[in-house]
Amino acid sequence: MEQAAPDPERLWQPAPLEPLSHPDAGLESMVGEETKGARDEGPGDGTMTENNFSLKKIEISVSEAEKRTGRNAMNMQETYTAYLIETRSVEHNDGQSVLTDSLWRRYSEFELLRNYLLVYYPHIVVPPLPEKRAEFVWHKLSADNMDPDFVERRRIGLENFLLRVASHPILCRDKIFYLFLTQEGNWKETVNETGFQLKADSRLKALNATFRVKNPDKRFIELKHYSDELQSVISHLLRVRARVADRLYGVYKVHGNYGRVFSEWSAIEKEMGDGLQSAGHHMDVYASSIDDILEDEEHYADQLKEYLFYAEALRAVCRKHELMQYDLEMAAQDLASKKQQCEELATGTVRTFSLKGMTTKLFGQETPEQREARIKMLEEQIKEGEQQLKSKNLEGREFVRNAWADIERFKEQKNHDLKEALISYAVMQISMCKKTRLGVQMLSSCM
Amino acid sequence: MSGGPPKALQSTGPQSLRDMPHPLAGSSSEEAVGGDSTPSPDLLTARSFGDKDLILPNGGTPAGTASPASSSSLLNRLQLDDDMDGETRDLFVTVDDPKKHVCTMETYITYRITTKSTRVEFDLPEYSVRRRYQDFDWLRNKLEESQPTHLIPPLPEKFVVKGVVDRFSEEFVETRRKALDKFLKRITDHPVLSFNEHFNVFLTAKDLNAHKKQGMALLTRVGESVKHVAGGYKLRNRPLEFAAIGEYLDTFALKLGTIDRIAQRIIKEEIEYLVELREYGPVYSTWSALEGELAEPLEGVSACIGNCSTALEELTDDMTEDFLPVLREYILYSDSMKSVLKKRDQVQAEYETKLEAVALKKEERPKVPADVEKCQDRMECFNADLKADMERWQNNKRQDFRQLLMGMADKNIQYYEKCLMAWESIIPLLQEKQEAKRYPFIGKNQDMQSNGKKYQLFYSSFLILNLPSPTSYKMALI
Repeated sequence: MEQAAPDPERLWQPAPLEPLSHPDAGLESMVGEETKGARDEGPGDGTMTENNFSLKKIEISVSEAEKRTGRNAMNMQETYTAYLIETRSVEHNDGQSVLTDSLWRRYSEFELLRNYLLVYYPHIVVPPLPEKRAEFVWHKLSADNMDPDFVERRRIGLENFLLRVASHPILCRDKIFYLFLTQEGNWKETVNETGFQLKADSRLKALNATFRVKNPDKRFIELKHYSDELQSVISHLLRVRARVADRLYGVYKVHGNYGRVFSEWSAIEKEMGDGLQSAGHHMDVYASSIDDILEDEEHYADQLKEYLFYAEALRAVCRKHELMQYDLEMAAQDLASKKQQCEELATGTVRTFSLKGMTTKLFGQETPEQREARIKMLEEQIKEGEQQLKSKNLEGREFVRNAWADIERFKEQKNHDLKEALISYAVMQISMCKKTRLGVQMLSSCM
Repeated sequence: MSGGPPKALQSTGPQSLRDMPHPLAGSSSEEAVGGDSTPSPDLLTARSFGDKDLILPNGGTPAGTASPASSSSLLNRLQLDDDMDGETRDLFVTVDDPKKHVCTMETYITYRITTKSTRVEFDLPEYSVRRRYQDFDWLRNKLEESQPTHLIPPLPEKFVVKGVVDRFSEEFVETRRKALDKFLKRITDHPVLSFNEHFNVFLTAKDLNAHKKQGMALLTRVGESVKHVAGGYKLRNRPLEFAAIGEYLDTFALKLGTIDRIAQRIIKEEIEYLVELREYGPVYSTWSALEGELAEPLEGVSACIGNCSTALEELTDDMTEDFLPVLREYILYSDSMKSVLKKRDQVQAEYETKLEAVALKKEERPKVPADVEKCQDRMECFNADLKADMERWQNNKRQDFRQLLMGMADKNIQYYEKCLMAWESIIPLLQEKQEAKRYPFIGKNQDMQSNGKKYQLFYSSFLILNLPSPTSYKMALI
């Protein structure tokens, strides 16, 4: 993929905006030069252009996870999990896929990729990674990162992350992302060479801006508020859900105790024996069905977690806006004060305090030449400042426009995804009820 | 009435049982029952065990080959309770209408006992009296005294731990009422017990306390004799069948006890689950308030969970009210039955010992002394009564437990159906507007394969399940 490596100038230039995929787009909407993050039938795929006119589709999957040991930066032995990323290119017409790339990555590399994307695409709601450590666990699930179930769920989460990025109209074109999928060795160095860490806004600076900004865009204020509330409510939901799962597990498991005693009872009965035996059997089946039920519920929890983390990504965009706005406000303030200074010098009135003015008062007037020099300097600074302000303003407005476009895209995605999650959850509950009801009916018929 | 022919009874005049006409018969008892069921003198002499040769008119098995004096009349009069249906029944008793009475000294509950009968032992065709638990307790004691060879049904527990259980709560009173009703119905169904004088008094007397004070001594001949059986004789050979019954009851009570404990634990877990559910549902409501398009679906889920919670609460209540009491009742039953078995052992032991003593003395053969004969009589009557009652008990137990387990199964099915309804009703709500969109996002409709394990989210899950209208779901998503 030919794309200029991101450089400082590109930072604030919004990527060319593509119109979002139209809902009525056909199944294969990759026509022409520009490919959009179009969806396709069958296994998830993203679309990327090799060059501007190619119609190659690729499929991405995180297919395996492997435990590895190695030496870390401090030369100490550590165990970590590596994930196999496979990329397949699908020929447009016959749908056959060919494995084009396959490499191993560990979680920290995913984090690196994401941090890079956060810096270079601050106006985009960057898809989140699956959680680093298992949280919201209920007692049966272990909080251990090496636990196979956790690793499996993480593998799925990482795959999801890659697919989200690949399907994003803007992010999918990023070269570093492409290299992440294709260049195993040296990728880390390549990313670090972009120097993105230096460009990252310091947390402190961002915090400062949040407190001091005077006139952020109203929509961002609302959005910030929304994302805070969303985080709070989803956390609460996940916590309670974990407790619910815990209790439900208890209910099912205690029913299992019935199995043995009904069986023992059936041994002393003549006519009732069969009925009791089948009752005991049903109890055992019932008790063991909880494992599958809760596994399905974990998937639901993972879907909610993704949006919990997405809320943080939303927050990040808001923070960026606040930072830019604050920057703008400071620049404007600075310009205003310089203008005033200039005016005062020119007219001789002193309204603003300046050290020079003070010392002048104390130690004597400055010479007209000195004053002229100063005025000239100020005028230059003012001219520079006005230009800077103009470009900052432009940047700010571009940012708001682009960010808002992505936020709208995100909103649609969120509504759709969460509805899917809820439907799936309801379907799961229905299936569980039907299955259990059938079991009880069968038990009843044996009596 | 259970009692020897010569006894003078209070409410009805002295009548030989043999002379009493069948209440439902036209002219003679023989006609009504048919066949040769005239009181056989054989019944008055000792019979051997396992004698199932009695052939009764409708070919059924003997229900109450009970104490000599009464069995004949019973055979004349009654169909067997196994076949008892509405038409042949002549005694109906119901317990209902609990009322609270507040007096200076105490507060208590009375229940209305309604009796309808065509039996001659009852002066009126219908009675309605009020009784309290104490009165039931009195009745049971009297029955145990006067009918020691029979199995007397249990009463619900007398004492309740104050502070833990509210004696006057609706649930407690209703549970007790049901148990008391069952108690009386079991007595009503018993061919011997239902004719007991104390039972009659209990059902009919306006002032039971007056009767209690009179201390009627209305024991059967057998009862009287069994009452005074000396203990302390050693039993040589417990007959197999009674040994088997004893062992059965031991295991039975043990298993029921375990089931009771498990059931209580389940209820406890379900209550804790319910507590969490009650917090879980409303969080969706809170979330719904933040959203626009998702507001309705989330609110729907919240309501759905609320409905499921309510359904679970009902199920748990049912378990407490219907399931546990029956388990406990049968445990109590087993206990009282075991003490009857012990008494039987004592009667047998006395007989055996006395017999042995006689055998050692060479003088009095071959004629067996009257004393020993009386013992034998006693023993054999006891055995017969007990056997008959055991069989009746087994039948009732089968029926009761079948009803109980099926009842619980039904309640469970109802619970799942309520939950099903709740969840199914929100599917259309969630699906609204989904068809319109075809959002180009990836990641959710794929078949993620790894190490052979298929993990399917969302869409594919519809394919696995047999949903009522799968097409409507699938359409939305693809």
